[in-house]
Amino acid sequence: MSRLARFMAVRAQVAATQGRGGASECVTPFGYARLDRYLPGGGLPLGRWHEVAGEGVEIEIGAAAGAFVAALAAPLAARGAVVWVMRRGDLHAPGLQGLGFPAERLIQVQVRDEAQALSALEDALGSAGVAAAIGEVEGVDLTAGRRLQLACEKQGATGFVLRRRPFGGPARAREEGGALSGSAAATRWLVASAPSAAEAGTSGLGAPRWRVSLERCRGGRPGAWIMEKSDGPYPLRVVADLGDRQLETPQPLRLAG
Amino acid sequence: MATQAGVRRLTALDEGATALGLFAGQKATDAAALAPELVTAEAEPALDQAALVALADWCARFSPAVAIDAPDGLFLDITGVAHLWGGEAAMMGDLIARLATNGLPARAAVAATPGAAWALAHFGEDGTIAAPGEEEALLSPLPVTALRLAPEATAQIARLGLTTIGRLAAQPRASVTRRFGAEVVQRLDQAFGRAGEALTYRRPPSPWFARLAFVEPISVPEDLARVTGDIAALLCARLETRGQGARRFELAFHRLDGVIQRLVIGLALPGRDGARAARLFAPLLDNVDPGFGIDVVTLLAQEVEAVSSRQRRLDEAAEAAVEDGIGPLVDRLANRLGPGAVWRAEAFPSHIPERAVTRRPPLSPFAGVGWDPARPRPLRLFRRPEPIEVVAPVPDDPPVLFRWRGIRHRVTRAEGPERIAQEWWRQPFDTTGPARARDYYRVEDVDGARFWLFRAGLHQPGVPAKWWLHGLFG
Repeated sequence: MSRLARFMAVRAQVAATQGRGGASECVTPFGYARLDRYLPGGGLPLGRWHEVAGEGVEIEIGAAAGAFVAALAAPLAARGAVVWVMRRGDLHAPGLQGLGFPAERLIQVQVRDEAQALSALEDALGSAGVAAAIGEVEGVDLTAGRRLQLACEKQGATGFVLRRRPFGGPARAREEGGALSGSAAATRWLVASAPSAAEAGTSGLGAPRWRVSLERCRGGRPGAWIMEKSDGPYPLRVVADLGDRQLETPQPLRLAG
Repeated sequence: MATQAGVRRLTALDEGATALGLFAGQKATDAAALAPELVTAEAEPALDQAALVALADWCARFSPAVAIDAPDGLFLDITGVAHLWGGEAAMMGDLIARLATNGLPARAAVAATPGAAWALAHFGEDGTIAAPGEEEALLSPLPVTALRLAPEATAQIARLGLTTIGRLAAQPRASVTRRFGAEVVQRLDQAFGRAGEALTYRRPPSPWFARLAFVEPISVPEDLARVTGDIAALLCARLETRGQGARRFELAFHRLDGVIQRLVIGLALPGRDGARAARLFAPLLDNVDPGFGIDVVTLLAQEVEAVSSRQRRLDEAAEAAVEDGIGPLVDRLANRLGPGAVWRAEAFPSHIPERAVTRRPPLSPFAGVGWDPARPRPLRLFRRPEPIEVVAPVPDDPPVLFRWRGIRHRVTRAEGPERIAQEWWRQPFDTTGPARARDYYRVEDVDGARFWLFRAGLHQPGVPAKWWLHGLFG
């Protein structure tokens, strides 16, 4: 057996012990090779849950992060229903439609507190017929994250946790929540809005853009990009690579020795 | 005791007062003269009414169809339920005994028509059971008052010497109608079963009703869960044989002390899966206080409609129908979080942004109409627009700078205005006139954050315009 084959076998064993079943091997690619290479399997893993957060005032309003999640979940809506669990009922369906998300496939659930949000999210993820579930919660601790992951594996649904703090609420243990959160998530994204570029000859607003950084990713590498809402086959289009990593020569596997 | 036409009169008496020769309707001064030791209290009709309603609810343990006969009576439709007690006599005996235990003396009668039952209960022998066809014979000796007529009509009939129902019924119908009005004949017909009478039941009579009574009262939570499963299976089996499903189930625990505790679950799609209904009830059972014990459990299925049974697929683990997967989820969430907490947004034909969305049940069919894609709308819409401080060129240019929640945003790009007027056909003109129109702008600040702002009203020289932030684009 060649060295590479042995390496691949060990890697498969590690992946198996990490609890990634058959369903989770499915991915949705971003359609941009230099981004997809950062992710395991060449795309956003399905049957797992992902964490999306904003910064500053965005952690309270969740607009840019919400739009990014809606764009990510839009292709999944063709496979089944999408459930959006929230504590504040300020999600505006016409705005979702404007982002290319089929609002008629969306079931909105309003909950009163954090515990209800997590339990509703977990319930939705474990139900047949649900392709994706999005939950606006303050943070996910280790236990809750593990439960979400188990629920995702039941039917292969994909979860999105949108980190959002209630308006005017106490800045509850940002450090501790931030440190604990994401340990069970497949990926963690930090999303902020970015200035758009209007089409030539027009003065209005261009397609919305986001500065997206992949902070951590199981089996992948972190990176940062500027993405734009696109009407093409993929919901998002990468406009520019950010950070110094784009200068590295891509090396999918590095063999020791 | 109550004041009627300026005179204090007795309205109700207990047995001791009756024995002294007092009667309802007597002047309070006369009564006090006859019995100086008389203890009186102000009549409280509202409380009496509330007590009667509570009693009607309590009677649901005997029959789901209970009608209130103000001020002091109840009609129970016992069609098809008397056999549960082993006959009408046993049922009536149980009812009277239970009322007596609770300190409520009552008179009862069973008859085929509400009119006859009322007459017998009020003026006949207590506990009469009129077999069908016997009504005329039993009612004939009763006074005309037993026909539930207006007092004037009763007085007029009595003046003519027609003291009993039998004599009145022997008169020619045409002359009775001419003299006393159509009501008299109608009441006669209703009592004798020749005309129908509609009762207003406290809750609609439903054949989808199941009841479990226990020899020993139960109170342990496990027992509550088990009887919930049993009664749900009982009712759902009946629904299944008739090809029906229900959208609402109401489970009632009747406690020994007469308190009834009701639990309600709703289903997004009509269903008849007893195990599923029991699972939905399970989290609610914690709220049931069994007190000294629960002796009767009833389950009522509401909004019953025909359901075609789907054949179970052989490969059950494979693809489940959408109704199978989403339906139970919606039910679980809606029952846990409340009926309004789960919805699907649908377009509503209105230009006002707040009114453009209606909430529909999640599994209702999609009407196929979306929102106008040419009018971009924000992802987050505030229920109440938030005031902002703005630097904007007049008369109607978008702002160049604004402050929201203490943070300054410099606008780099803007689109608009989109003028949205109030719906003048819904409200008076002064609240919807041109001064109430809103000019909406989509703006983007230096960082790329997008806002939906509007200026309230038209530009007026010398008056600073008011600006509001209504939503955020992603």
